[in-house]
Amino acid sequence: MLSRFSDVLQTAADVLAPPATRLEDFEYHWKMILNFYQNYDENSKLHVEETRIPHHLHQMLQLIVDEEKEQQGGTVGPCMEAIVQRSICLLDALCALAAAERPPGARALALTTGTALLRRTRQPCVNSAHVYRPLQRMLIQCNESPASPTEKEEVELLLTLCGLVRKEPGLANIFTTPFVEDKSTLLSIPEDIQKLIPIRSKIQTPKKNPLFEVELPPNPLRNVSIIRTGKDDGCNATSSSSADDNASCKSHKTVYDDNDKFLLIDLLLSYLNSADNQVVLRACEGIMIVSSLPEDDIANLVTSCSPACETIVDKLAAKYKCVPANVVASDVEHLNITWAYVAQDFGDKSYSKFHGYKELTSFFSWLDYCDTLMKECHPTIAAHLSRTFRQNFLEGVAEHGVADLHHAVIVTAILAKCLKVVDSPDLINEFSNWLVGDGEVSEWPLLHTLINNCLTDNYELTLETLRFFETPSYKLASGRRDGEVSEWPLLHTLINNCLTDNYELTLETLRFFETPSYKLASGRRDGEVSEWPLLHTLINNCLTDNYELTLETLRFFETIIEKGTEHSIHRVVLARVTSRGYFAPQPLTDDDERDRLNDLSLGREREYNREAMKQLQHEDHVNEQITDILSHEGLDPKQHDEGSENIHRVINSFLLLLPRAILSDPVGADYEHYIHDAHRRYQYWLDATSTFHWPSDYNWVDTTASSTHSYDSRPEADIHLDDAFEPLKPDHIAKHDPKHFSQKLVLRSRDLTSQTSETEEFDEGPFFKMIFKLLLNMPNQPYQVNLHLTSIISQLALLPHPNLHEYLLNPMLPTAKKTPTLFKTLQEVARRLTMEIPRLRNFKKIIENTRLWLMSEDPTYDENADHNQLVESLIVLEEFCKELAAVAFVKYQHTLHMQR
Amino acid sequence: MAYAYLFKYIIIGDTGVGKSCLLLQFTDKRFQPVHDLTIGVEFGARMITIDGKQIKLQIWDTAGQEAFRSITRSYYRGAAGALLVYDITRRDTFNHLTTWLEDARQHSNSNMVIMLIGNKSDLESRREVKKEEGEAFAREHGLVFMETSAKTAANVEEAFINTAKEIYEKIQEGVFDINNEANGIKIGPQHSTAGGASGAGGAGAGGAAGGGCC
Repeated sequence: MLSRFSDVLQTAADVLAPPATRLEDFEYHWKMILNFYQNYDENSKLHVEETRIPHHLHQMLQLIVDEEKEQQGGTVGPCMEAIVQRSICLLDALCALAAAERPPGARALALTTGTALLRRTRQPCVNSAHVYRPLQRMLIQCNESPASPTEKEEVELLLTLCGLVRKEPGLANIFTTPFVEDKSTLLSIPEDIQKLIPIRSKIQTPKKNPLFEVELPPNPLRNVSIIRTGKDDGCNATSSSSADDNASCKSHKTVYDDNDKFLLIDLLLSYLNSADNQVVLRACEGIMIVSSLPEDDIANLVTSCSPACETIVDKLAAKYKCVPANVVASDVEHLNITWAYVAQDFGDKSYSKFHGYKELTSFFSWLDYCDTLMKECHPTIAAHLSRTFRQNFLEGVAEHGVADLHHAVIVTAILAKCLKVVDSPDLINEFSNWLVGDGEVSEWPLLHTLINNCLTDNYELTLETLRFFETPSYKLASGRRDGEVSEWPLLHTLINNCLTDNYELTLETLRFFETPSYKLASGRRDGEVSEWPLLHTLINNCLTDNYELTLETLRFFETIIEKGTEHSIHRVVLARVTSRGYFAPQPLTDDDERDRLNDLSLGREREYNREAMKQLQHEDHVNEQITDILSHEGLDPKQHDEGSENIHRVINSFLLLLPRAILSDPVGADYEHYIHDAHRRYQYWLDATSTFHWPSDYNWVDTTASSTHSYDSRPEADIHLDDAFEPLKPDHIAKHDPKHFSQKLVLRSRDLTSQTSETEEFDEGPFFKMIFKLLLNMPNQPYQVNLHLTSIISQLALLPHPNLHEYLLNPMLPTAKKTPTLFKTLQEVARRLTMEIPRLRNFKKIIENTRLWLMSEDPTYDENADHNQLVESLIVLEEFCKELAAVAFVKYQHTLHMQR
Repeated sequence: MAYAYLFKYIIIGDTGVGKSCLLLQFTDKRFQPVHDLTIGVEFGARMITIDGKQIKLQIWDTAGQEAFRSITRSYYRGAAGALLVYDITRRDTFNHLTTWLEDARQHSNSNMVIMLIGNKSDLESRREVKKEEGEAFAREHGLVFMETSAKTAANVEEAFINTAKEIYEKIQEGVFDINNEANGIKIGPQHSTAGGASGAGGAGAGGAAGGGCC
C-alpha cells in the first residue's frame, strides 16, 4: 500500500519536474569539475582521490557507456556527441589535468579515465580530431618527463590506442605526419581550456629549443578517415552529425621523407628503457600489435619513419654487453626464457640462480622478443629487423668476440644458444648467412670451382680464369646483363645469367663454362678456397688446445647444422663433396675382405689363436644379428640380391671396426635402440630438407656399396654432356622441370671432376679437415668433446644428400690414397686403440668399469680424477660405430620403401 | 610469501566469454559486470594449498580478440596450465574451441594441462550449449571439463585448483621437468634458500659447481 502511494507521488513529481536527461546529468558533472578548478587553491595539498573529481569523471564515463548501450545502428548518443563536437571538452580537460597534475594524482586519474573511455565504449570516435588531438597532447606531454610515476598509466593508454589501431588500421593515420601537430603546439594547452581550468601546468614550454623543431604544416581540424584503401564501409566510424566531421581525409602515402614521423611507435619506443619491467612489457606488446598489422603502408612507416628496428636490436646489443665475461658456459645451455613471462619473474627478488643469471635472462628474453616479433610482424618489418639484427648485433657486436680468445668460449656458447632458440625463418637465414657468408657463390659446382680459382693466391690461375671470362661468349652474355654488381662484376654477371629463369641464357652461359679454358683452369686447381673469415675463425677455434673452447664451438656447429638452411649447409658441409672429387677408382687388391676390415692379423694365424677364434665367433654373431634385422625388414639375405648384400657389407664394416677383444659390449644389445633413434632423426631431416634443391637419387644406397664389383658406383653418371644439353632445345627447357635440368648438370660436373681426380688430391675443405683432425685425436680428447664430435658426424651422415651419404657412409668407396674419408679416419683411430689399450694393465676390467660409469651418467664421475680418457674414447667409438651402422641401415630401408 | 611450487596459467577463449571475470572472481572473490576490454594480457596471482603444500598460481588473462592473437601466442610457451573458456549462452564461442585448441597445442609445450570451462552457468535460461556437448568435446580431446559461473562463483575455485592438482600429479609422476622453466613451473625459494643461506659466497660456489662438468 505504502509503495503504491510512493509510486503515485513519484509519477506526480515526474510530471511537475521530469527527471534529468542523461545529457543534463553529463553537463551537471562537467560543471562540477569546472567549478572545482575555478575555485582551486594552488597551495592545497589535498590528493585528487580525496576530492569529488574522480566521482564526477566516473559518472560521466558511466553515462557514455550507458547511452551507448541504447544506441542503434552505429549512431552516437548525445553525451558522446557533446565530446566529439567539443561543446563539452572533457578530453581537453583531462589533458590539462594530466599536464598540471593538480591536485596531486590528477595525471594518473586523467590517464586512466582516458584509457577507460577507449576501452569501455565500442565507438570511442577516435577518428574525430576533438578526441584524438587531446589524446596525442596528453601522451606527448606525459612522455616529456621520462621515468615519471605515471609511466604505467601512460603506457596503458598507448597500448589501448594500439589495440584500436589494430582493429581499425586507418586510425594509424592519426599518428602520422599530417595529423600530428608539431611538438611545441602539442606541448601547450589550448587557451579556452586554460580559461576553464585555470591552473598552471608544469610543462609549458618544450624542453628542446623550438627553433630546431621540425616545422610541420598547420592542418585543419578534420576527421581522419579510417579507410585506407578506398573501401566504402567506413560508415560505422564517421557517424557524427557535425558538418566538418564529414570532411575526411585519406592518406595514401607511399613516399616518406625525413620529416615523416610515426608518433605511435616513437612513443612506444621511449618506454622500452623504463626501469619498470611491466611498462617495458606493455610497450613491447604495443610494438608487436602495430607491427603485426597486415597493411603494407604501416609496415613501411615502421621501417622507414621510425627507428624501431634499430632501437630494438641496439637494446639487444646493450643487454649482450652487460653479460659478465666470467659467466659459466654450461649455465647458458640450460636457460629457457619466454619474453612475456620475464617481467613477472623479475619481480621475484630471490630470482638469481647463478652468476650472471639476471643479465643472461635479460638478454635471452629480449632475443625471444625479437624472434617472436619477427614471426608475428609484417614481412617487410621482419626482413628489415633481421637485417638490422645481423648488422647491428651479429656483425657489429658479437663477431669480434668469436676471434678474441679470451672470451671466445662464452661468446660461442651464447651465440650457439641464440641460434638454437631462434625460430623465425628470417632470423635463421640472416644468422646462417652471417656464419657462412652470403649467397654470391652459386650452387652450381662448376661455377663454384671457377670462382674459387679466381680467388686463390695463385695469381697465374686467377689470371687464367679471369681471361677465360673475357672470351667472346662472355661478351655475348654480358649484353644481356641484368643482375647486380659485385666486386667481380664480370663474374657476377655470368653467374646471374646462369640463374635467371631464362633457360636459353642459362644454357648458353653454362656451355661457355664448358670450354677448354675451364678445363685448363680446373686442372691447375690447387689453391686454398678463400673462406668466410668468421667460419674460418670458428673452425680454428675447434682446433686450439683449449678443450673448453673446442667443446663450445662444436656445440655451436651442432646447432648450425640443426638449424641449417640450404645455403648454410652447402657452405659448411657440401661445398666440396658436391663435386664428387673424392671419388677415384683404384685397381683391385687381393685383400681378403675380413682382413681389410680388421687389421689384427692374417687369417691363418688366427686359427691357432684362442682370441682369434672368439673374434671369428663374434663376427659370425654380428653377421647373424644383421641377417636377423634385415630379414625382420622383409629382406631375405638368402636371395643374395645386390642391395641387401651391400648393406650387409656396410653394416659389417662399421660393426667390426674394433676387434672383439677390446669391445666393452660385444653383444651389441642396444642395436635396436640405435635403429629406432636413427629412424626418428632421419625422418626429421627428410622433412627439414624437403624444400632443398638437393639431388634426389633413390639408388644411392643401393649403388654406393656395390663398389667392390664396379668402381663407378653411379651408372647414371655416364650421361654424357651432350645428353645434358642437346636433346633439350632451349624452348623445351623452359617448359622442362628445371630441377631435372640442374641434376643433369651436377652429374656432368661429377664426371668432369672424376676425370682429373687421379692426378690430384681431393680437398675436403676446412670443415671436414677439422672434423677428421679431431676424430683422429679422439684418444687424447676429453669425453665431452668426443661425444659432441661424433654427434655432429652422425647428424651429417643422416642428411639425405647422395654425395655426402656416399662420402661418409660408404666404407668401400674408392678414393685416391691420400683422400681422407670418415671410414679411413675411424680405421686409423681403431688401429691406435687396438695397439694401446691391451697394454694397459687389467684393461678388460678398466673397460668394463668405464662403460658402467659412462652409462650411469653419474655427475660425480667427471670429478673423479682417475677416469681413463683412452678407454672412454674407445667406448665412444664403439657406440659411434653402432650408430653409423644404424644410420646406414635406416637410410637403406627408406630407399627400399620408396622403391616399393 | 614462501611457496613450494609456482605454476603459470593462461586463460584463453573468445572475447566476452568471461575470462577476466573468472580471474577476478578467483583472485579477488568479486564479480564486476562492467569490465574493460582486455588488451594484450592481464595478470593475477593467488596462493593455494594442495597436498599440504603452498602453491603460487600466476595467471595470465589473455585478450580474446583476434587482433591481439600475436601477443597471446607468446604466452602459450612457458605455461603449465591453460583454462580454455567458452560461453554456454553463445554457440559460436563453443564452435571456436577447435581453433583455440589447435593454436594452444601448436605453441605450447606438450605437457600443458588444459581445462575446458563452460562459463556463465548462472544463465540457464539462455543456454545454447548443453553440458553434455562440453563433456563430449573434453573427452574427445583429452581435457578436463567443468561448468562455472564467474558471477555466482560456482566452480571457479575448483576450476583453478583442479588444474593445479593435475599439474601437481604430473610433477609427482615425473612428466614435467621442473628444472626447465619453459614448462611453466618453478620450485619455490624455500628449496633453494636452504643452500643460499650461507650468504653471498654461496652464489659463486654454486656457479663453479655447475660448470665443473668438463
